[in-house]
Amino acid sequence: MEHSRPGVTPTSVPESARSPGGDAGDVALAAAGDAAAFRRLYEAHVGRVHSLARRMVGCDHADEATQDAFVRAWRKLGSFRGESAFGTWLFRLAVNVMLTRRAQLATRRGREVVDDELLAQQPDRVRSRGLGLDFETAIVALPEGARQVFVLHDVEGYTHEEIATLLGVTSGTSKAQLHRARMLMRRVLAKG
Amino acid sequence: MTGTRVTGGDHLDQDLSAYLDDELGAAGRARADAHLAACAGCRDALAGLRDVVATARSLEDRGPATDLWRGIERRIAPPPPLPFVLPPRAARRPPGRLRVVRQFSFTLPQLASAAAIVAVLSGGGVWWAMSGARNAGVAATAPDGAGAAGGMGATAAEFEVRRYDAAAADLERVLDQNRGRLDPETVRTVEANLAAIDAAIASARRALAADPANPYLSGHLAEQMQRKIRVLQRAADAVTADYTGAS
Repeated sequence: MEHSRPGVTPTSVPESARSPGGDAGDVALAAAGDAAAFRRLYEAHVGRVHSLARRMVGCDHADEATQDAFVRAWRKLGSFRGESAFGTWLFRLAVNVMLTRRAQLATRRGREVVDDELLAQQPDRVRSRGLGLDFETAIVALPEGARQVFVLHDVEGYTHEEIATLLGVTSGTSKAQLHRARMLMRRVLAKG
Repeated sequence: MTGTRVTGGDHLDQDLSAYLDDELGAAGRARADAHLAACAGCRDALAGLRDVVATARSLEDRGPATDLWRGIERRIAPPPPLPFVLPPRAARRPPGRLRVVRQFSFTLPQLASAAAIVAVLSGGGVWWAMSGARNAGVAATAPDGAGAAGGMGATAAEFEVRRYDAAAADLERVLDQNRGRLDPETVRTVEANLAAIDAAIASARRALAADPANPYLSGHLAEQMQRKIRVLQRAADAVTADYTGAS
């Protein structure tokens, strides 16, 4: 399923990074081992994948998670059947990479990354950098489950049913986490 | 059900999000509207949530501050010649410890699956099945002395390929799940090997789809499958050793 986000400007792709055949041509070339074609795909989609990574795993881990997603995509290109757009396929794969990484990070730390109190402090740290970044920083500071659902639902447009499948929870849990996240983010906007 | 929880006297709480997302039934929405008309606190909260959702939907994507391609390119580059070398298990153990806590979590069924497929495929089973099925009557010599065998039906070949796919997928999934616990250099080496092999397999499969009777392509595909199984087998061997405590 395609997830479009109203109002979102796609990451600009340099003309030099585009191939005449578009994604489909580059996907075929990359699946045959053409790294240059895969680089064009990377250039076209890295903005969206990296934004997802920043929001789901935080800035400290976003670069590595983004690289993981593209390496995984390279390995899995043979399984891409073209039933959806390449970007959709890549994004779903990236979501799974991010969820796995989040689980690993949470396991290492043995706790939720931040609590509500820390979230409340976030806007003051970055206020001078603009509302968008304040908001993004606050997203990263959301409690684990709430952040995942908030990013997937309100930013990326997934349904509760899709999120429930991805996260292995019920749609009721997804709804509850979404509301929790929104209420916390409301405090952020109120402070801004 | 969210839509049934709205009552005239309570604050809306989670139903605010359901209201915002139009997930309340008609009756629930009517009750919520009635409550909102009378409750400034809930109206204020609803307005705040609307701002949150609108802001979330207006976020723009932006790329990384630094070019990440170089790191990706390194990881997808053709690997060094096989066999790759896993770090000695002893080197991964903290000094002074005789036993290391198991780093992997393969289940016994997964190990059994890996062992079974390795037993079948490492002896040239896929090549044998495929060449037999696709090229009945074509004389050929299988790698590793497995021998050519005509008369093997297409069903058997497809079965072997399916077994290969399933076993490889199982092992890949487990390796993915455990990658955070693995030595990063080992993960990169395994990934680099697998990436190159996967690309070769995909290419061979496409070529074979266009020319199913080509014995060279059958053999080439089987070789690539065997290469992949060997890589996975070495990882599985290391896992098995840790799993069983063998030294």
